Amino acid sequence: MRLSFPYMGPTIVYAKLFELLGHDVVMPPKPNKEIIDLGVKYSPEFACFPFKVITGIYLKLMDKNLDALVTSGGHGPCRAGYYGEVHKKILQDLGYDVEIIVIDSPRDDYKYFYEIVKRLKGDSSWLKVAKVIKTVYELTRAMDQIEKKIEILRAYNDQGTINRIWIKAQEEFHQIQTTAEVKEIKNKYLNKLSEFEGSIPAENERLKIGIIGEIYVVLEKSINNQVEEKVNQFGFEVERSQYLADWIRENAFPFIGKDLEEIEKKGEEFIEIEIGGHAQGNIGHAIDFKQKGFDGIIHLKPFGCLPELVSQSVMDDLSEKYEIPVLSITIDEQTADANVLTRVEAFLDMIREKKYREVM
Amino acid sequence: MKKTKIGIPRALLYYYYFPFWLKLFDELSLEPVISDNTSRKLLDKGVKKSLSEICVPIKVIIGHVLNLDQKDVDYIFLPRFHSIRKGVVFCPKIIGLPDMIKHSLPGLEAEIIADQIDSKSDDIAQISNHQQLAEIFSIPKKEMKKALTKASNFWQRYRNLLYQGYLINDFSRLEDLEGLEKLISKFENEKKIPQSQRKEIVTPGNEEVVDIAVIGYGYNVSDQYLNMDILNKLKEMGVRIHTFSMVAAEIIEKELSKLRKPMFWEFTNKLYGAAEHYLKNDQIDGVIHLTAFGCGPDSMLGQILEIDAKEYDKAFMTLRIDEQTGESHIITRIEAFIDLLRLKKENN
Ligand code: SF4
Ligand code: SF4
Repeated sequence: MRLSFPYMGPTIVYAKLFELLGHDVVMPPKPNKEIIDLGVKYSPEFACFPFKVITGIYLKLMDKNLDALVTSGGHGPCRAGYYGEVHKKILQDLGYDVEIIVIDSPRDDYKYFYEIVKRLKGDSSWLKVAKVIKTVYELTRAMDQIEKKIEILRAYNDQGTINRIWIKAQEEFHQIQTTAEVKEIKNKYLNKLSEFEGSIPAENERLKIGIIGEIYVVLEKSINNQVEEKVNQFGFEVERSQYLADWIRENAFPFIGKDLEEIEKKGEEFIEIEIGGHAQGNIGHAIDFKQKGFDGIIHLKPFGCLPELVSQSVMDDLSEKYEIPVLSITIDEQTADANVLTRVEAFLDMIREKKYREVM
Repeated sequence: MKKTKIGIPRALLYYYYFPFWLKLFDELSLEPVISDNTSRKLLDKGVKKSLSEICVPIKVIIGHVLNLDQKDVDYIFLPRFHSIRKGVVFCPKIIGLPDMIKHSLPGLEAEIIADQIDSKSDDIAQISNHQQLAEIFSIPKKEMKKALTKASNFWQRYRNLLYQGYLINDFSRLEDLEGLEKLISKFENEKKIPQSQRKEIVTPGNEEVVDIAVIGYGYNVSDQYLNMDILNKLKEMGVRIHTFSMVAAEIIEKELSKLRKPMFWEFTNKLYGAAEHYLKNDQIDGVIHLTAFGCGPDSMLGQILEIDAKEYDKAFMTLRIDEQTGESHIITRIEAFIDLLRLKKENN
């Protein structure tokens, strides 16, 4: 089948998955102003921002002669699980006749899941499918491992140099065919990055920011105003609550269980039960970051995001109890880059000053 | 002995369940205190204590919680509505409401009772849904069960009247059990017909009666301050009003079963099923989607209904309310909508 999918974080991983299964993959366009404007225009006003971005991406893909768009499903309680159904409706209403294949968890509707897997599997044997899944999963983990290093090293080195290494790594990962190749490339780049390790200062001089929030805006740099790079730019290391592996686990292979459960459970202190999205888990990560000695938290959320509004509502209390500063940033089509930069800068200044005073 | 006072916020699920709670507390010899009707002052307080981008119904309930705290109640009753149907949950903000209240209103003096509601149907009378309540007041299981059964039966009578075509607003101004019991018996016994079912309705200029389905959550449709009393305004214009709570559960069920995948939110699904039913119904002249600023689930529902209304060729309007919506603006819009429908009707 000729396929595409929403541009979200791990685009390469998706592409690889379908390519290895023998499909003709059309790479989705990276979100930019034009795509966002298009998406905003054809989405409901109060749809979440990720929804609007995806609308824009789908519309941009409409002249590519696709057989289908493949996207993730889910059973709520958040809206993301229903994106696919509403996108179908919007595209149909605009006169586009393209199939949207929603990967729902087999727990929700086993038959439907099975049908879809059968179609996506194409002519590949089940053994092959298992291999592909393994390769893709390894790929994700490898990329996560490298990205975590990048997020530290970028704080102490020339951003351009480090970014170029990251881009090259991604390009090479894009070419892989087997799990062995994944390993090879991973080691190659870990080695390369280790040359920079000398730049990391003594433990008590390192400044660290944890980024938590709604998964799409946490993962997708092209819509979160490159928050990570901004933080790195001021000499702070970054770690996120979510990485590609989390995304893949939830959205492409919903049958793979959760890890991180222990961390996420810490969130129960503030949000007692799962309310949808990653609200409870994010709160857990915030507490965990504090316990690991991080200096501050940046909380990213799309405008009007249901679960993250709940987490934001408990954040002041958390910040006070755990004595960790939190900056919440709302992301939508109106978020201005300069504004984000100013707020991040002021926040980091405050943290640096506080740390300095404590040391003195 | 002085009875313990339990505050119930007049917001969100109150409108759907208040007869249940009034009866339950009465049976348990607890004194319920209902917060005041929503007002400018009450809402402003809620707005001040909430995140600006949160939907207005949450701001409203925060205002009501603060209002109760000023009334010196000992407890605030704020069940955590999680699910009243297998596989379907409430909006994340409703599920997380007790967390928001506990952690964003540090000055609150009353203790929060937040039993988690998990039920297989709209009837929430299971004892497991009331454990914290039973514990706090040391209510023996048997007594609790008995009280819950009575509360459930009483609530069913209310719910049945809603199915028959009464509006939540026909009851919701009453907050004493005795008055409510009388009213319910009266409606049950007399052969008067609810407004939505009446053939003869007087219109100001003897124009044609118009039938409108107002699709919105109980708390938006029934909070007369928040929605600028839109139902009464429509009635004055000679409109017969239909709402989701009048549509039989089986009909809603049937509509939902046509979807490959229903939505995940309880009342959003109810609104969907009811709206689809009204969109197809020839007796209905138009559908108004009454929604709150910043409502997430409604952004999905609204889009679906808008497209479906086009398909069924049914007049459709979205009315969005927030803490600042001007009354004149709303009136102008509904007047224009009604005029249009009348014109259409007369031309036919
Ligand atoms: S988590 Fe937030 S952004 Fe994601 S679907 Fe839910 S409301 Fe939308
Ligand atoms: S359903 Fe809509 S209005 Fe109700 S709490 Fe959720 S977001 Fe707010």
